Amino acid sequence: MSSASASGSSSPSAPNRNRAAMLAALLATMLVVGCQSSGPAPDTVRNTGQTAPADLQLTCASAAATPLGVDSAAVLPVSSSQLDAQTFQVVLESGGTRANCVVDTSGNVISVQKV
Amino acid sequence: MAFLSQSRGRAFGMKMAACLALGVAVFATLAYAAGTQIFDPKTRKWVEYDRKKARSYYAAHQQVPEAFRRQIVKFRTAEKPGTIIIDGNQHFLYLVQPGFTAIRYGIGVGRDGFGWAGIVKVGRTAEWPTWTPPAEMVARDPNARKWAGGQPGGPDNPLGARALYLYQGDQDTIYRIHGTPEPWTIGLDVSSGCIRMNNDDVTDLHSRVAVGAKVIVLMQGASLYKGV
Repeated sequence: MSSASASGSSSPSAPNRNRAAMLAALLATMLVVGCQSSGPAPDTVRNTGQTAPADLQLTCASAAATPLGVDSAAVLPVSSSQLDAQTFQVVLESGGTRANCVVDTSGNVISVQKV
Repeated sequence: MAFLSQSRGRAFGMKMAACLALGVAVFATLAYAAGTQIFDPKTRKWVEYDRKKARSYYAAHQQVPEAFRRQIVKFRTAEKPGTIIIDGNQHFLYLVQPGFTAIRYGIGVGRDGFGWAGIVKVGRTAEWPTWTPPAEMVARDPNARKWAGGQPGGPDNPLGARALYLYQGDQDTIYRIHGTPEPWTIGLDVSSGCIRMNNDDVTDLHSRVAVGAKVIVLMQGASLYKGV
């Protein structure tokens, strides 16, 4: 009985072990594939400065023209920095007068303040 | 109306004099610690994209990384098509196109102390231009000395296949957008303030741009600057 029992208990555990091993291998493969696909593409370049994209800087320049009382063609973005994942601050200059602008990644101007 | 701003450094005195002569406002920026990095698929790490890396990448691929190759991108702006936007921090030059798009080109820009910003225009253009080094460059660079009288256009000329001369009003700013015999330098901070492109790209840009086109050069540097 005991041997039969042992035999009976070992017989179903072998396929279980095989299934567990296959599952572990599958998980490991998924992890490897997952890691590979989550990283940057090879030869991707980045700049560590995190300045605002050029079009967002120009969006702020247009928005600052009215509070600065000048034509938008005369407003130059002179610096920018990332505030958080969704917003950038852009400093604008025209004829010695400055303004601060906050713009989000979708191009929506959140605020413009003459300094 | 238009004005120039310029980063700190060795060229400051020389270019400030030029800028003041033009009657423009000048600003100095503080040090800018940012740099370009490239993702290395072998080590799976970001590494500095410096002269050595750029040269080895170009030797292996015969072209610059994909980001610095000519391509159409989305670009939300009220600027008119034909306007040139230069983002020296990211090493991109945008030529505004209709429909909120732009042609984006990779560029090489001024090294530390040679960056500048301003709103200028294309005053004139030239094919296979002659390069005449400014007196200050002749004084500091022995290699430039032999060309003090002008180097004829050609494949070895530092200005490459085309040059777009940047003017403020009727005054030549001494800055140019030009080609280069060193295409691997695209994506680097290498120049004395000029904007360099590979010869195919500057030829393409030259064919699309009219004299008088507005050029916006965004500040190359960090968020701090001081008025002068």
